[in-house]
Amino acid sequence: MILSPEVLTIFILNMIFASFAIIALILSIQIVLKWDMNATTSRQYTLEKQSYLAATIIKYIFAIKVPLFLFFIFTLDKVSAVLTGAMCGAGVVDATDYGNYLFILKVINLYIFAYWIVLHKEDMRHEDQPYTKKKFLFFIVAFFFFSAELIIEGIMFASIDLDEMVSCCGTIYSSSSTSYISKIFAIDSTILLSTFYGIFLLMSLVFVLRRKYLFSIMNILFLIISIITLISFFGTYIYELPSHHCPFCFLQSDYYYVGYLIYALLFIGTFYGLVTGFIEINEKDRERNYKISIIFNSLYVILLSLYPIVFYVKNGVWL
Amino acid sequence: MITLKSVTKSYELNKKDIVTAVEDINLSFKKGEIIVLKGASGSGKSTILSLIAALSKPTSGEVVVDGKKISKLSDDFATLYRRENIGFIFQKYNLIPNLSVADNIIAPLVPINLDEDEVQKKLTTVMDMFDISHKQDVKVRNLSGGEQQRVAIARANVNNPKIIIADEPTANLDEKLSLRFIEILRELQKLGKTIVIATHDPLFFDLDLVDREIEVHNGKVVL
Repeated sequence: MILSPEVLTIFILNMIFASFAIIALILSIQIVLKWDMNATTSRQYTLEKQSYLAATIIKYIFAIKVPLFLFFIFTLDKVSAVLTGAMCGAGVVDATDYGNYLFILKVINLYIFAYWIVLHKEDMRHEDQPYTKKKFLFFIVAFFFFSAELIIEGIMFASIDLDEMVSCCGTIYSSSSTSYISKIFAIDSTILLSTFYGIFLLMSLVFVLRRKYLFSIMNILFLIISIITLISFFGTYIYELPSHHCPFCFLQSDYYYVGYLIYALLFIGTFYGLVTGFIEINEKDRERNYKISIIFNSLYVILLSLYPIVFYVKNGVWL
Repeated sequence: MITLKSVTKSYELNKKDIVTAVEDINLSFKKGEIIVLKGASGSGKSTILSLIAALSKPTSGEVVVDGKKISKLSDDFATLYRRENIGFIFQKYNLIPNLSVADNIIAPLVPINLDEDEVQKKLTTVMDMFDISHKQDVKVRNLSGGEQQRVAIARANVNNPKIIIADEPTANLDEKLSLRFIEILRELQKLGKTIVIATHDPLFFDLDLVDREIEVHNGKVVL
């Protein structure tokens, strides 16, 4: 078990989160079961007040979750300094069986909470609050993902054995690795890049045609292929090392923290792309979401494409 | 225009101590009416005003204004409703003492983001209407009670609201100024405003311009 100040901070915040989330869960269940916007009964007015409280709690959880996600990555880097063999957060993630699941769950939860915020904002835009039941039902589902994240996070940090040597990112993200990640490296770069740019072009075409459902689907595909190409291909040009594929190292100061920019562009772009099809909003807002999505996704593509181009211009060879 | 249907409002001080300010109130006001809610302090008059103004929500029942269920509005929509429909005149005026008369009057226009010409036009109109133009640059703290009240009335009308809510408007005025306030009410009546006044000032009782007097006692309307 590891109990550094950073890990302790995460534990304490998680306990506070859990307490407030349980309050929001209880209120959400009551709202889902008893909400009737047309009723003028004492119970309905009480539920309306409770819905403000629950929504405020959920908004604040999300508001803290975003910087806490960055703090989690920072913590992984800090913890890697005391784990033998680990060079960055990747070693800590791989040190237990839970790290990868936790990381994926954290990203999914960020999307879930961001979606809840959009749903809530849309609900409050209407006098009759048409999404109230839906958004609190959604939170009940989200609560279980959120609880799973907190539990797995606790277990992960608790099960790290400081005496055990762990793999460094160079080993984890290599073609010789025995993990499922190694399968990514078996894919031919030409196929991978064709798929990446192909999906981006298709997404741009769907943007021009304004097909909301298709645009959401294209964003899901773009998110998946982007992460794969980032690890498999573009990462090597960021590091200027043909065998280094780590998705964590470029979050460090050695690479000017460019990873934060890369992930922010990708997550913001794909999130706004996803919500265009998943929520009924007015045309003005949908149009704004379309534009935010395509701008951020385009910036992501441009930024990553620049790395191999600049490398080629400087060195005259591809990696 | 304004309807209160089976409205009850309770304040929960703690789990055991619940105060019912108004109970099962049914009222209906027509457009352009002047209504006086009379009753002793603590009878529930101000609570009725705050419900009509969407400053608070009932515990049960509903408040409907122009067909809109204002008791069901969220905070943001209630703010919009107040901004567009309600003018307030308070017992203690609630003016900002360090601002000038003009700045106090245009305060309700700030969130609306009107252009300067339009603000000036509205300001001039109400200052002329309530005879306060000559004091427009004077700080409110330097005005007399009667002048302060005229500023408060001008502020309540600057956005041309349909409904004027007045809570004990003459409580701080002597008889002469109270009579002047009644004259102002006549002017507002000519503009077709619906005016609801909560007061226990006998000057308002049996007044020719008042359409109805409603007595409130212990949170209930006395029939």
